[in-house]
Amino acid sequence: MKDEFAPRSGWTGRFLAWLDGDLDLLIDAADAAEEYDAPREEIKEKRRERRQRIYESERGRAIRHAERRGFYIGYTVIAVICCVLLIGVLLYAIANLPRYGQENRETVEVVERYVEHGLQETGAVNIVAGMILDYRAFDTLGESHVLFTALVCVMILLRLDSKNMRTDFEDYYTTRIDRFHETYRDVIMQRVGMLLVPSIFIYGIYILLNGQNSPGGGFSGGAVLGAGLIIASASFGMSGVDKVYTLRASMIITFVSLAFYSFAKGYVFFTGANGIENHIPKGTPGAILSGGLILPLDIAVGFVVACTMFGFYSLFRRGSIGGET
Amino acid sequence: MILEWIRFVLIAVLLLGALLSFALAVFGVYKFGFVMNRIHSAGIGDTLGLFAVTAALILATGFSFDTLKLALLVLFLWFTAPVSSHFLGQVEFFTNPHPEDELKWEGTLTEEDGRPDRKQ
Repeated sequence: MKDEFAPRSGWTGRFLAWLDGDLDLLIDAADAAEEYDAPREEIKEKRRERRQRIYESERGRAIRHAERRGFYIGYTVIAVICCVLLIGVLLYAIANLPRYGQENRETVEVVERYVEHGLQETGAVNIVAGMILDYRAFDTLGESHVLFTALVCVMILLRLDSKNMRTDFEDYYTTRIDRFHETYRDVIMQRVGMLLVPSIFIYGIYILLNGQNSPGGGFSGGAVLGAGLIIASASFGMSGVDKVYTLRASMIITFVSLAFYSFAKGYVFFTGANGIENHIPKGTPGAILSGGLILPLDIAVGFVVACTMFGFYSLFRRGSIGGET
Repeated sequence: MILEWIRFVLIAVLLLGALLSFALAVFGVYKFGFVMNRIHSAGIGDTLGLFAVTAALILATGFSFDTLKLALLVLFLWFTAPVSSHFLGQVEFFTNPHPEDELKWEGTLTEEDGRPDRKQ
């Protein structure tokens, strides 16, 4: 019989074990699931036994050996050094900042450029939109990718599949009691949802499309759209939203938005850096179709934010996106 | 001149009333021990307090397009705040193991009413 705690030798083996998630020896998912209905004393005895088994196993001996060899001391030392270095770099950067209220030639130049030439160069009445989606577009691109990464991380942690199915007790609890608490069974919520959902969606689209002319834009508009999706699913049930917002659709929307953003902005930065005309019309300032790339980029960012927000809600609520487990 | 004074007094009365209702709401939230009572007192601020503040703002700015926006704001909040209170109360009712200590109702509750026996 294969020893389940057999040690994996070497650095690669330890890294693979860490990737597999079985480095934490105290957690044995199958045993933990069985313990739900058992009496307390039995659980304690079982846990003690398991700990003893782990302590005596090859794997436990290997870990104790590694501890003796100073593997974990080295690990801690490296972590502490990294943290101290990071703190030092940040403190150094802060110490070299100009004092508050003191004139700083470089920042004044940047501010003057933004305020005086922002409308002419970006075509956006809202200078903030011109900054975050034109001058500093790479920053916003990174933020959108951070949102996508966060969604993927939450999906890794919370998605329910055959590997982390719940126990019978929990299934009983969820199906029997949780279903009763579904808000869409409540007639008050349904009626209020009929009033709220359309207005929230219209408001979100308004914010999204007017990002270059008024305060708003991709992040706020996407957040409003995501909230609208959440309220829609709370008022009318997940099944309606599931028809549109499946896992596949969400991934495709997010990918297309991020890819469009990256390629469009890459094109503009490439042409701009080499002094080539980029042939993107700026339009009349103040109109909806103005600001060059700002409006499409706003829409792309809004899609990513809406998908992320509703994805978080769906994963936290029931452990899946679009009802697929 | 007289009309200006009347308007000023009305605005002042509305704002003071809003202040009073918010103060009552905060006081009640900290004073009461049971969730339903707290929800009730929080609801005073959410409905009456918000209405008084917004009415005072409408009077102060005069009638314009902003009046409609403020009125819609009140409508929106009057629709949403009671719904959240409703769900808070529902959750309390369904998850409290001994609601009969604090609440009174007619008849008896069975599992079909959505209060499954949690002791099993």
